[in-house]
Parts: sequence; structure tokens; C-alpha cells
Amino acid sequence: MRITIEHRLTLNAPSGTSQAMFHLLLTPPSGPAQTVESWSVEMAGIGQAGRFVDGFGNTAHLVNQPRPDGEITIEARGVVATRDTNGVLGRPPGEPVPALYRRLTPLTKIAPELVDGLKPTRSNRLDLLHGLMQRVGEKLGLPDEEAAPGQTQMQADGGQVQSQRQGDGATEDNARADAADYAHLFIGAARALDIPARFVTGYRLVDGPAPCNLHAWAEAFDESLGWIGFDPHQQICPTERYVRLAVGLDKDSAPALRTVPVVEIAQRAKLAVIPAAQ
Amino acid sequence: MGEQTPFDEMYNADGTIREPYRALSEWLAEQPDKGLALMQADAEAIFRRLGITFAVYGSEEGTEKVIPFDVIPRIIAANEWRRLSRGIEQRVKALNAFLYDIYHRQEILKAGRVPEKLILNNAAFCPQMMGLEPAKGVYAHIIGVDIVRVGPDEFYVLEDNLRTPSGVSYMLEDREAMMLLAPDLFHRTKVAPVETYPENLRRTLESVAPDSAGRNPVIAVLTPGIYNSAYFEHSFLADRMGAQLCEGHDLFVDGGKVYMRTTTGPERVDVIYRRIDDDYLDPLTFRSDSMLGVPGIFDAYRAGNVTLVNAPGTGIADDKAVYTYVPEIIEFYLGEKALLNNVPTYNCTDEDQRAWVLENIGDLVVKEVHGSGGYGMMVGPTSTKAQHEEFKAKIKARPDNYIVQPTLSLSTCPTHVDGDVSPRHVDLRPYVLVGGDEVRITPGGLTRVALQKGSLVVNSSQGGGTKDTWVLED
Repeated sequence: MRITIEHRLTLNAPSGTSQAMFHLLLTPPSGPAQTVESWSVEMAGIGQAGRFVDGFGNTAHLVNQPRPDGEITIEARGVVATRDTNGVLGRPPGEPVPALYRRLTPLTKIAPELVDGLKPTRSNRLDLLHGLMQRVGEKLGLPDEEAAPGQTQMQADGGQVQSQRQGDGATEDNARADAADYAHLFIGAARALDIPARFVTGYRLVDGPAPCNLHAWAEAFDESLGWIGFDPHQQICPTERYVRLAVGLDKDSAPALRTVPVVEIAQRAKLAVIPAAQ
Repeated sequence: MGEQTPFDEMYNADGTIREPYRALSEWLAEQPDKGLALMQADAEAIFRRLGITFAVYGSEEGTEKVIPFDVIPRIIAANEWRRLSRGIEQRVKALNAFLYDIYHRQEILKAGRVPEKLILNNAAFCPQMMGLEPAKGVYAHIIGVDIVRVGPDEFYVLEDNLRTPSGVSYMLEDREAMMLLAPDLFHRTKVAPVETYPENLRRTLESVAPDSAGRNPVIAVLTPGIYNSAYFEHSFLADRMGAQLCEGHDLFVDGGKVYMRTTTGPERVDVIYRRIDDDYLDPLTFRSDSMLGVPGIFDAYRAGNVTLVNAPGTGIADDKAVYTYVPEIIEFYLGEKALLNNVPTYNCTDEDQRAWVLENIGDLVVKEVHGSGGYGMMVGPTSTKAQHEEFKAKIKARPDNYIVQPTLSLSTCPTHVDGDVSPRHVDLRPYVLVGGDEVRITPGGLTRVALQKGSLVVNSSQGGGTKDTWVLED
């Protein structure tokens, strides 16, 4: 499936800001489940950006804007061809050792009842992870696809909107677990069972009009299959309707954008399928 | 163990003088009445004039204090030093190899030689460092190894300080003061110089400049500012090695490169000797509320455009819980036995060891895993029953938060106290520089002395003083 993606981020730097810094994880990687056919990131200052690979293997940009004025817009767009691999990604080169993702973080605390009675062995890991995904769904309830458009943006994003490690009071007021919460619960439980698990920020194509296709899910590591995606929010393994953008220990280490000064970031991602050539 | 007679570095058990102290002993005998007291007063004046002060957190008597200086130097023989420095070099090489490994393939964890959870779930482990290639493969460039002596040939490493060890300015100023106070003593003995330290520091920093740097890399010392207890040292070192002293707001990142604001415009910076803790270094990557750091500096580092000294995440190698594995680490990477001893350490998470520790707490030293500077520790033999109980409760509540060691009988050196000369316990912190080219160890280091009779706590924040440390030349 070939998908066009338009991801737009907007923010306002407080007046008097002498220098705004942007840490961008806005470059999707090519891999077993997706090939990036074309991609561009546009914003003032991107031409001089520092480019590097971060500790989790993501391609990152460091952009600065002296004395930013008014609204700042970042636009990432391109075409990604996806393949359904039942969520299996294998072991792409250039990634850190999987053991790194056994590290517990404040966002991936363990809910003991989720792992109660589960015993990982060499052969049952896949079943166990599927079971875990189901338990997360039962614990948090199935998501409401009919959510009001305004909420959807909050709900489905990789956690960037308010969080920036300053707490997501506004979203938590909604008392609805968002996709990132599902992923965190799954990741914490997998790590409690000594299974490396990581957080994925990406896009998901949904049917019908969707104001935002940003999404978050998890990946867990299996010795024989490598990394495998699990979306506990949707209760499926990622399909060709998923596009991976960045990975990390949790949503704080894999946001599409971090800034200094810390400000609210509004995001909108639009996905569309390119019809196969006749 | 507290009662055994400590090793006296000046006198043999039969009262004769140990060879390295012969010249000093003669000199002491020649001093007129009150000679040392006058010298002590002069020393105080010299230090005030030099402006060497430090801040004691939580002290109410004003923030600035002169660190007590003892006018009687501590002496190490040339052959003793050769042994020590070989052991230190071995240690710092192994620790750098360990850091490279755990931030890359983690072979030592896969081999099960160091427990994986101890590293990966450690607060001092920095996931953002994964896969980064530091210039010349060096992570910890500036290291202070805390060593104690308990016998003629018995040395123990208490701690490896790989974050931002302080105190080197005292080592240098103690020597300067000593040369002013007792020039005649230097004529009688051949003492290895320490004043080469700033030059060696500069060479070390230059040796790890990124490839993009020119022939004369630009070096900056990054300080948290004047309210930091070691601010004097930051400015002192910058001055002595001809580098710029900067605070976070003096530096900025543009196009992924680091620049310093100067009166003649921005100047590119190649190497940053940072004296700011990892957490505060870069609000874009670490604590977003940090006002001390430079936004984007870590990304510039990852992009290979600047070298940070020491690298972030080196604290994992001097973590008190990791410390117990250092002999294992040396064997794993170098295939050699450790030349310097580790202090035997009890693991309180082990039930049997914990029970034994709780039973014998009065003889033991308890240290908080993440504590430093003598805070959060208890020396059993010199603490009260109430303090014993307090630490027993703490260990029971969080056994993983404490390490416990036997009370070592630290060696003593003659020390001038209230007009008299009497033995006081000392430790030693040699300063090691690991460059891309070579390892440079300044002969001697900082000797800290517990001025209270019988006290084993030498930290300046806890009433310790310093001594000039002499390594004799053959």
C-alpha cells in the first residue's frame, strides 16, 4: 500500500524568545514493513540543521531559530510504501541492543495484575505477548472510535501535545486512556516479564474522515522473530495501515518534536492511500 | 576493626622514622617553638589572598570558607607511587572500556559478568548515549580515584569518581602555598612537580577535539555559576589552561554547532569541559527545567560537532553498586588481575549478608548508593546507638539503596593540630587524565585529612582539611 502523509506541527514561541530550539524526530525509517519513497521536512532553519542518529536509532534534526516571531510551522510530508508483515520487523541493522528496552521508566511502571500468572518461556513468547495485549485492552477498555474530533487529536498522538515532560494534566482530565497509555501499560508488563519492549510513535490510516492520523503503539522483542509490533489500543498487530516514525523507551523519549522553550504543540497528520496504477 | 592500630606513614612500629619521611622529620625537629603555628597563620593568609574558598551546603556561618590546610606535607616514596599509578592506569582503562561496551554491544552484560538490571535500570545509565562514538573512544577523561592506605603495601580504592571530580585546584594551591611557606624543605628533597596539571589538562582536552576542529581547538569550561561550591575551581582551571570560563547562557547552538558569545562575535567551541551534572546539561534532552545548561548541546555532541568532557552517562561506572564489580570489569576487558584492591563490600539485598550487616552495624561503614561528599553515610565505630538504629531501619526499608563496608583503619600522617604534631587519618585522591593519546597521572594528588582526633571522615564538607602531597623522585 502506498500512502501519502502530510504532518503539520504548529506552535507559538513566547514573545521575547531569543532562541528557539527544535529536536525533530520526523523522519520515518525504511525497514521490513515500510519503504520511504520520498520525504521532506520543511521549516525555517532546516537547511542548517544538525543531523544525527539518536540513541534509539532514530534520524533526528536539531534546528534553531533566533528570535522567532509569531506562529512557527513545521511540515513533514512524503510517500511511504507499506507491507503487511503481521507486525514482524526482524532485527534491522543500526539499532541499539534490544536489552536496552528492558529499562523501566516512570511512564512504564508495572501493573502487577497484568503479569499475574504469566511465565515466559522460549517457545511461548508470542502467545504470551498476544495475551498481554488482550489484558491491556480489558483493563483500559476498548477505545471509542466515535470520539469528538477535538479529542481525537489528543487521544491518538504520540503524546507530544501537552506532555513534553511537564505532565499532561489537560489530557488526563479527559479521564480516557489514550493510545500512548495503552502502549505504556503493555511495555511495562512486557519488561516486567524480562521481554524488551519499546514505544513507537507513528501514523495509522483509519477509515472515514479522521482529523489526525497520529498514533502510538508498542513493539516487543522475540529472540527468533526480532521486533514485533503490538497495538493494544486497537488490539491488533500493526498492518500495512501503520507507518513507523520513531521509537524510544516511552513517549517522552520518542516524541515527534521537543522544543526549548517548552510550548504547546498542535499536530495534524493526514494520510491518504494512493490508488494503485491502472 | 576500629580499634586496631592504624598504619603510621611516618613512624615504624618501633618508633624509627620511615625512610621517605627522613628529611621531613629532620626539618620538623629544627622548627623553633611556635614555628609551625606561625606558618599555619601564614598559610591561612595565603589562601585568603588566593581566594580559595568553598561553600558548605547547609552551613549557617556564611557560605564561603577557607578549606583548612595542614602545613606538614604527606609523603609517598617513588616506588610506592609507581605501584599505585600502574594500578590507577589499569583501572581507568578498564572503566573506559566498560563504558564503551555498555553503550554499545553490552558484551559484559550478555556474558553475565555484571548483572544487567544493575546497569539498565540504574539512574546513572544514560540511554541517550547508546551507539554514540565519543572522540578517540574516551568517555571519562578526568577521573579522581579515592584511595586509602592501611599498611606499608596495602592500598584500597574506595571510589572511582568519573563524573566531575573536584578538588584539583586544592592540590595545586597546596603546593604553591607549601613552596612559599617552606622553600628550604624543597631544597632537601626531590619532589615530583604537580604544576604541570593545567597544561596536561589542556593537552588531554585538545587530544579529544572533534575532527572538525582546527589545529588549535577552542576549549571552554562550562560552570553552573558563582553559587556552585566549586566555582573557584572552575575559574581557576580555565585561567590556568587559558580556556574560556562560560556559563550556559554564554554558549549557544546554531546549525548543530556550539558557539561562545564573545565581544568580537560568536566563536566556535570544539571541546567543553563541563562541570554541570548530566541532568542539567541540556534542557532539550535532559531536564527541561534546567536553566544552567545549553539547549541543543547534547544534539550537537551526538552530531559529532563538539566533545563533552566527561561524556554524559559516565556516572554508571562509578556507581557505588557497580564499584563492587570493578575487579571483574578489569579482568573482562584487560584479561588482568586488578592491581589495586577494592574494599570488600556487603550486598544488603542478599538476605544472609543483610542479617550479618544488621548484627554488626557498629563496626561497619554504611554508604548511600547515590550519596557523595560524605553525605548520607555512617561510620559505625564513631556513631551513636541512635544513629546505628536509624541506619538499620534505612537498610531494612531499602536494602538496594545502601552498600556496607568494613571500617578501614586509614593510615595516619603527622598533622599540626593546636600547636602540636599528632597523627591524623588521611586518604588520597590522585587525578588522572585520559586523553586520546595517553593517560596522564599527576604524581600525588589531593590528600584529605580528618582533623578531629580519631575521625575517619575526611570530606571537606564534614570538617576535613588538606595537605600537600609529595611523591619523591628517585
